[in-house]
Amino acid sequence: MNDNVIKVENLVKYFDGRCVLDGINLTVPRGCIYGLLGRNGAGKTTIIRILLGLEPATRGRTSLLGTESTNLAPKIRGRIGCVAEGHNLIQNYKVERLIKLCKDLALQWNDESFGHLIETFRLPMDRRVKDLSMGMRAQLNLSLAMAIDPELLILDDPTLGLDTVARRQFLELAIEVIQKQDRTILFCSHILSDVERIAERIGILAAGKLVVDCPLEQLKNRVKKLRVIFSESVPANLYLTEIINQQIQGREMAITVANWNRQKQAILETFKPSSCTEIPMSLEDIFIECTRPNPQPVEIA
Amino acid sequence: MLTLIKREIRDHELFFIGSVILSAVLIGLSIATLDGHYWIELVTFDSPAGAIVLPIIIFGFFAMGAVQMNTDRIRKISAFISILSVSRNRILLAKIIAGLLAILIALVPLAVTVTILLRIHAPPIPIFYVMVLEIFSGTFLITLACYFIGLQAGWNSGRPIPAIVGLALTCILATLILIKGFTPEIIVILSLFIVASLIRTWHLFMSTPL
Repeated sequence: MNDNVIKVENLVKYFDGRCVLDGINLTVPRGCIYGLLGRNGAGKTTIIRILLGLEPATRGRTSLLGTESTNLAPKIRGRIGCVAEGHNLIQNYKVERLIKLCKDLALQWNDESFGHLIETFRLPMDRRVKDLSMGMRAQLNLSLAMAIDPELLILDDPTLGLDTVARRQFLELAIEVIQKQDRTILFCSHILSDVERIAERIGILAAGKLVVDCPLEQLKNRVKKLRVIFSESVPANLYLTEIINQQIQGREMAITVANWNRQKQAILETFKPSSCTEIPMSLEDIFIECTRPNPQPVEIA
Repeated sequence: MLTLIKREIRDHELFFIGSVILSAVLIGLSIATLDGHYWIELVTFDSPAGAIVLPIIIFGFFAMGAVQMNTDRIRKISAFISILSVSRNRILLAKIIAGLLAILIALVPLAVTVTILLRIHAPPIPIFYVMVLEIFSGTFLITLACYFIGLQAGWNSGRPIPAIVGLALTCILATLILIKGFTPEIIVILSLFIVASLIRTWHLFMSTPL
């Protein structure tokens, strides 16, 4: 049995001659919570749309649960829950009617879990979807996606529009889902603290490329930000590979390096800095560094 | 599949109500005249009423196809449904079945009534029944063709040219029937046109990003 629930191979997508995705390779193993990050317009939603077969790829292959995205049979789709960006529900339907439609079309429906969610979110059944607040729509969308007990849950900015309490509830639910054996989540969000809280593996999209694809802990260990102070000015011939960002001010240099290792440390020490201190980095700091416009994007994998 | 068809019917119930009303009015007219020939005159446009009824049917079902696809596109209904356990093929099939049902609701009761009226009032000559069959199969085909043109025009609603071309095609088909009537050649042309439209609609729906 193929253990990669999501597989993306050399994915290329052009929109009106503009390259949005440039040779993306990505795999998500069963049971993994994968956090896909990127700035607005980086191509996160496009990847998800291609994965779900809503958008054709220009080149490359994508598959979900071992089936090509272009060929997803209803039986496979029935094992995938999805919360789309903007919560694209049928706006003119009443909540009750939308729920009935989803229930009738679902291969399996967990009444108990769905009832629990509806009760938690206190969703009004007699109101039209378009009359619900953005937060309520997000909650409804999430409840519908969770009700089918999905093997794979795809969440495209699911907490957009949710207040702090609802966001926390959502994250706890996501954790509950992953705790059920073999559940996999692909989670795109702009709220990095949410991703940091639940994701095991991180992918960062920048300039159409997946510049980061590794476990969260590994990412934190591999990307280092150092403040290096030299006795005189910063040596002009100082060169390290895979520099993500470098700022020099007089004798002081702040440098962010990818794939930090002993070899790079040894090279830096040959320039005899008077001090070298590591600046702790959160996922948000790493994200900002990795998505900074850079003539030569550095890949961390 | 039944759920999808029911959804289409409920979302476009106005067209179904319209079909029932149209059918009832025509049946009423046929019975009121107590003459089976009236309907034949009506459809072959030998009467002024016939020239009004056929365009209503044609443009009504063109509108139904256009509205079905256009509301789907604007409200992103297929995008939502297709991430449930439903394939795009089934979504389109449900739309077409709903359209077919609306057409049949408009035509079948009328055809049955006219046949009964013929049996009661006209002499038992088989040619009458052949004529009724030709007229109703022709009306069914022209309506179906216009419905498919409507589906394509509705799906391409963001671009005005395909919609205008669709409307122009509908007008050409209506004029062709008005001039030539339901001859076997016209029925063959219509059948070929319907197959081509169906393939084009299917291709459009399957290949366009949702």
